[in-house]
Amino acid sequence: MLNEFGAQMLDVVLWISFVGVTISIFILVYRTIKGPTNPDRAVALDAIGINMMALVGLQAINLGTDRLNDVVLLIGILLFIGTIAIAKFLEKGVIIDRHNH
Amino acid sequence: MAHTNDIILKTMTQLIAFILLGFSIYLFFAGHNAPGGGFIGGLMTAAAIILMYITYGYEKIEQILPINFTTMFVAGLGIATLAGIGSIVLGHPFLSQTFEYYNLPIMGETELATALIFDLGVYLGVVGVTMTIILTIATDSDAKEDEEKAEA
Amino acid sequence: MNNLIFLPIVLPLIASVIAAFFPKKLNLSRKFAQITSVILTIMTAALTWHVLTNGTIVVQSGGWEAPFGISIVGDGLSMILVMTTYIIGTAAVFYAPSVLDKQQESFYFYAFFFLLISGVSGAFMTGDLFNLFVFFEVLLIASYGLIVLGNGKVQLRESMKYVLFNVFSSMLFVTAIAFIYAITGTVNFAQLAERVEYVEQAGILTTVAIILFFVFAVKAAIFPLYYWLPNSYVVPNAVVSALFGALLTKVGIYSILRVFTLIFVHDTGVTHQIFIWLAMFTMLFGVIGALSTNNVKLIITYNIIPAVGFMLMGIGLYTEDAIAGSVYYLMHDMVIKGALFFLIGALIVAAGTKDLREMSGVIQKFPLLGWIFFVASLILAGVPPFSGFIGKILLLRGGLEQEEFLLVIIALISSLLILFSMMRIFIRGFWGDLMDNISDDRKRVRNLTIPGVVLVSISIFLGVGAEAVYPHVESIANMLMDRTDYISSVLKE
Repeated sequence: MLNEFGAQMLDVVLWISFVGVTISIFILVYRTIKGPTNPDRAVALDAIGINMMALVGLQAINLGTDRLNDVVLLIGILLFIGTIAIAKFLEKGVIIDRHNH
Repeated sequence: MAHTNDIILKTMTQLIAFILLGFSIYLFFAGHNAPGGGFIGGLMTAAAIILMYITYGYEKIEQILPINFTTMFVAGLGIATLAGIGSIVLGHPFLSQTFEYYNLPIMGETELATALIFDLGVYLGVVGVTMTIILTIATDSDAKEDEEKAEA
Repeated sequence: MNNLIFLPIVLPLIASVIAAFFPKKLNLSRKFAQITSVILTIMTAALTWHVLTNGTIVVQSGGWEAPFGISIVGDGLSMILVMTTYIIGTAAVFYAPSVLDKQQESFYFYAFFFLLISGVSGAFMTGDLFNLFVFFEVLLIASYGLIVLGNGKVQLRESMKYVLFNVFSSMLFVTAIAFIYAITGTVNFAQLAERVEYVEQAGILTTVAIILFFVFAVKAAIFPLYYWLPNSYVVPNAVVSALFGALLTKVGIYSILRVFTLIFVHDTGVTHQIFIWLAMFTMLFGVIGALSTNNVKLIITYNIIPAVGFMLMGIGLYTEDAIAGSVYYLMHDMVIKGALFFLIGALIVAAGTKDLREMSGVIQKFPLLGWIFFVASLILAGVPPFSGFIGKILLLRGGLEQEEFLLVIIALISSLLILFSMMRIFIRGFWGDLMDNISDDRKRVRNLTIPGVVLVSISIFLGVGAEAVYPHVESIANMLMDRTDYISSVLKE
C-alpha cells in the first residue's frame, strides 16, 4: 500500500520536475537570445547546462538506471570548460593567448 | 590591458585537468559494453588539454606537450584502419573482432577486445581533430602577427 | 579470395592515411600516389574480371550474417563502376602535379584524393542503405577538403553553398532511412527488396521513395535541383573539377539506379513516370546552360547535367534495353567527363584565359590538344562509332519501345545542342588567328594533355570495342531487371 503510494508519488513528482525544468530551459533560451549584455548570455547558457544535467538525472530516476550518471558528469565538465572559455573571452577578448604570465 | 590575476583558475586547473584525464581513461575503457568508448574519451582528453591551454597560454603548453595534433589525427586514423585490416590478413572478414579476459595488475580482471585497438585509433583521431580545430579558431592571431613583426 | 573485395575500399583509405603523413614532401607524395594508384587500378581490374566471369561476390563485414552485418556486394555493375573510378583516379594523379600549384598540392591533396576514391568505391559497393549514407559522407568530407584548395574568395563562397546543400540533403537522407527502417525493419538492400512487396501501405513507401530520390537528385544534379552544381564545380582547380564531374554526380545516379531497380519497383507508374519528365527537363535546361556562357570550363560543367538526364531517362523507361543503355552511358560519361575536364584544364593553361571570346588559334601551337578535344567532343555528343552513340542508341530504342516520343525527340535535340556547344569551343578557341597570350610552356601543356589522351582512348575502346563490352553490360542489365539474383546472392537462401 505504502509502496504503491510511493511509486505513484515519485511518478507525479518526476513529471512536475520534468515540466518545470523544461519551462525554465525555454525561459533561459529567451534570456540567451535577448541578452541584453554578453555576461547575461553567459550566465543563461551556464544555467541551461545545469538544467540539462537535471533533466538527465531525472531521466535516470525515471528509468531506474545508473548508466546515465556518466552523462551527468560529462555535461558538467563540458559546461565548466565552456563557462571558463566564455568568461575568459569576456574578460580578455581572447580564449587562448600566446603568453600568460 | 590591465593585468588580471587568475590564481584561482590556475590552482583549480592543476587539480581538475588530472581528474579530467583520469575520467577520460575510464570512459575509454568503459566503451563497447557501457556508455563510453574512444570517441567520448578522446573528447574528454581534448577538453582537459584545452583547459590547460586556456589557463596557461599557448606557448607554455606547447613546451609541455610538444605534440603535432594533425599527425596525431592521421596516426589515429591509421591505427583504426589497420585494426580492421588485421582480420583480413588472418582470413576473417573485414572488421571482425575477438575478445579475451586478462588479469591486469591494477585493473583486475579486464576484458580486452581487439575492438579496443580500433577504439584507440578513434581516441587519437578525436583528440587530434578536436585540438586542431579549436587551436585554429581560438588562438590569438594578433599576438602571432606581433611576434612575426618583432622577429622581422 | 572473397575478402579481397574489401580492398578497393580499404586500401585507398590506408593510402590516404600514409599520404597524410608527408604532405609537404611533394616529390615523395607524388611518386607514392602514382605508384599506389597504378597498383590499385591493376588489382581492381583483376577483381572486376573475376566478378564478371565468376559472378557476384558478397562479404559480410565483421562476420555477421546478412541482414545484421553490413554486406559489401561486388556485382557486375558495382565492379565496373569501381574500375572506371580507379582509371579516372589514376589519370588525375598524373595530371595533378602540372595543374596544381605547390601550396595547393602540399595541403593534403593526395590524402583527400585517396579518401575520395575510397568513399566513391564504398558507395558503389555497399549493400546497405545506411552504409551508403556513411560512404556518401566519406566522399563528401573528402570533397569539402578538395573544393577549398586554393581558397580564393569566390571559391570559398561557392564552397559554402556546396557544403550547405550537401549537409541539408544528408539530413534528409538520414530521415528517409529512418522512415524506411520504421516501415520495413531493415536497411539491407536485399532484405528491403524482399520486404517491400509485403508492406501494407504502399503509399507511404512511395512517399519515402520520393524523399530518397530527392536526396540522390541533389547529388546527381537532376532538373529542379541542379542549380548548385555549375558554380561550385567551376571554381576549384581543374583536376578537382574533373574528379567531381566524373565521380560525384555519378554516385548519385548510381544510387538512383540501384535503389529504383532493386527496391522501389512496387509503383513504377508513379515514380518512374516522374523520372521521365525530370529527365526531359534536365536534358533541356542543362544544355541551355551550356549554350549561355562563354566560360569554357562552365560549358563543360553544364554538360554534366544533360548526361545525367540521359541516364535518368533509362531508369525511367525501365526496360532492359534502356537500363543497359543507362549503365553503358554511366561508364562512358564517367570516362569522357574526366577527359574533357582534363583537356579544358590544359586548354585554359595553354590559352591563358577562361573566356572563349579572348582565345583563338590554340590548335596552331598545340595540335594534339586540339584534335583530342575534337574527338572528345564527338564522343560526348554521341557520334557513331564512339561510346556515347552506343549508350544513346540503347536508350532511344528503349524510348521508342515504350512510345515516349516526346522524350526521344528531346533527347535527340539535346544531343545536337551538346555537339553545338562543344563545337563552339573548338571553332572559337582552337581555330582562327594565333593570339599573343598563348602559353609557351609546351612541356606543361603536354603533361596536361596526356591523361586526357589516355581517357579518350579508353572511351574510344568502349565504343569501337562494343562487341567485347556490350555482353557484360547486357548481363548487368539483366541482373538489374531480375532482382532475384542479387537477393539470393546476398541472403544466401
